[in-house]
Amino acid sequence: MYRYDEFDAAFVSERVQQFSDQVRRRIAGELTEDQFRPLRLMNGLYLQLHAYMLRIAIPYGTLAARQLRMLAHVARTYDRGYGHFTTRQNMQFHWPKLRDVPAILADLASVEMHSIQTSGNCVRNVTVDQFAGAAADEIIDPRPVAEIIRQWSSLHPEFIYLPRKFKIAMTGAPNDRAAVKFHDIGLMAQTNGSGEVGWAVYVGGGLGRTPMVAKLINGFVPHEHLLAYLEAILRVYNRYGRRDNKFKARIKILVHEEGLENIKGQVEEEFAQMRGGILTLPEEELERINAYFALPAYEDHGVVNIDIGREKILDPAYGRFLENNTFPHARQGYTSITVSLKPIGGVPGDITADQMDAVAELAEAYSFSEIRVTHEQNVVLPHVALTDLRAVYDGLVEAGLADGNVGEITDMITCPGLDYCALANARSIPIAQDIAHRFAAPERSREIGKLKIKISGCINACGHHHVGHIGILGVEKKGTELYQITVGGDGTEDAAVGRILGPGFVAADVPDAIEKLVDAYIEKRESPDETFIAAYRRLGDAPFKEALYGNG
Amino acid sequence: MSKILTGNELLSGAAVYLDGHGRWIEELQSARVFGADEGGALEAAVGASKATGRIVSVETEDVEMRGGAIYPLRVRERIRAEGPSAPRVGRQHLAEDEHVSI
Ligand code: SF4
Repeated sequence: MYRYDEFDAAFVSERVQQFSDQVRRRIAGELTEDQFRPLRLMNGLYLQLHAYMLRIAIPYGTLAARQLRMLAHVARTYDRGYGHFTTRQNMQFHWPKLRDVPAILADLASVEMHSIQTSGNCVRNVTVDQFAGAAADEIIDPRPVAEIIRQWSSLHPEFIYLPRKFKIAMTGAPNDRAAVKFHDIGLMAQTNGSGEVGWAVYVGGGLGRTPMVAKLINGFVPHEHLLAYLEAILRVYNRYGRRDNKFKARIKILVHEEGLENIKGQVEEEFAQMRGGILTLPEEELERINAYFALPAYEDHGVVNIDIGREKILDPAYGRFLENNTFPHARQGYTSITVSLKPIGGVPGDITADQMDAVAELAEAYSFSEIRVTHEQNVVLPHVALTDLRAVYDGLVEAGLADGNVGEITDMITCPGLDYCALANARSIPIAQDIAHRFAAPERSREIGKLKIKISGCINACGHHHVGHIGILGVEKKGTELYQITVGGDGTEDAAVGRILGPGFVAADVPDAIEKLVDAYIEKRESPDETFIAAYRRLGDAPFKEALYGNG
Repeated sequence: MSKILTGNELLSGAAVYLDGHGRWIEELQSARVFGADEGGALEAAVGASKATGRIVSVETEDVEMRGGAIYPLRVRERIRAEGPSAPRVGRQHLAEDEHVSI
């Protein structure tokens, strides 16, 4: 796994010292809040409704066991014993006190973690497929390139004051699990005619107020020219992005207003000048970074598949876990396990310090000390031998983390919403909890099959509601919370934005509304193999609209 | 419209309210309610609070009296006063040295 070099380490520790001094001066009254605010935001420290919130980057969603243990230590020592995973593969602590933040950052720096560029109009944490480096369907592990992008974009002098924040997502597999088409730039690994691997580059995707599916700006950019190509895009955006209007400042608006062809022309022009220049990736450097992501020392254990059907009869909960929470691995005899952070009635994405330690311990024993964080607010043990599955499961049962609901209706993305977030209009968490209780029975969620519900507490869409098969958006109307429901969104390679079918619902009526949509789907599907989203594509809005609002 | 004054205390980040004695306190129900005719006093209190340098995001919030209790009109403010609702994990509290007065 990648480890900082001395340059990174020196830089991060210098940043911690600077911030310590800034905090000291703020408390002593030498800095005003107006002066201090941008400094704390540069270090990931936000002020939320009830307290500060510290956001910590987990670059490309990859964590070593010792890093997760450090997050557990931070949660226990300085916070309230838990942390929250977000859709950006970050961890947030919701209760730090200002005086403790420099110590937290110093502790994090000791395991090569930090909060730099988790806020502000810069290139944010690069997110990737959570099964990167493990998935059976992968063309290439995207993380070495993600690491190079991280290094390139960290404090890039030209891009620390962009018109607006900038998010890059990557997948090395053709099946997109990283929602790359809903990022400012999305990168998908491609093989060209001569068998070389490069990147299809999508630009101008995003959620929020104006959701847009990214457009393909270049079908194949070779590895060595990727940085130059990205720099060309950033340059064009930096020059023409709408700094005059915060709501129009993201690159998606620029691409939309100017047209893809126009933007592409300018990007290609910039690229032509930079191509082959100093941003060309030297082969040795790529090799050096690749070495950090070398395959673990897999072994042959003699077991290459498991009889899930049999396990389901012997132990239904374990069978369900195997069916839903494992993912095909590139190496025979191994699997990736998704650990659900969506217990029925819990807070989606929350994990206690003890659970972090438990996952770290399981990773050390059974997954080469590696852990991944998903944008769907779960964690992954990427390389588990099939012979160790039961031991891992038993460990998860002990830690209260063995819910076998991954990919099912209760595995919802939910932003913190009005329970924590200063920008929220409505609560998200209680809505998720009510829906989870409604569909708690395993037989019921099994009958429904794969279905993604995503919930945001405001139009900023951190909960990705636009791309939920069923999306829920909280708004405030005359002092009460109201929920708009969308249907048909999809965050994968078949990207689509969900559609609003009618007026919103009060919180108490949301579970009924979801149930009506689900019942309409079950009634109309061609067979249990036709998923909710496939049925929606075939049937269109009408039956779902009728289910929610009658045919008036 | 009646108003209260609220903000977050610098060190803890805790949600706090100005009371009738010029103290920034945790309890919404002990907040000073400024009547519609007390615009001058409200403005002075905002100024004095900002001058402490210890209260961040100072804001006025519209409230009504309902059954003798202060009722903020925005949901956001009602949740701020009570803490996260699901589960109820309790508010951030002020430590010994985190109490501020104007
Ligand atoms: S979607 Fe809105 S409410 Fe939810 S976390 Fe983002 S900004 Fe906050």
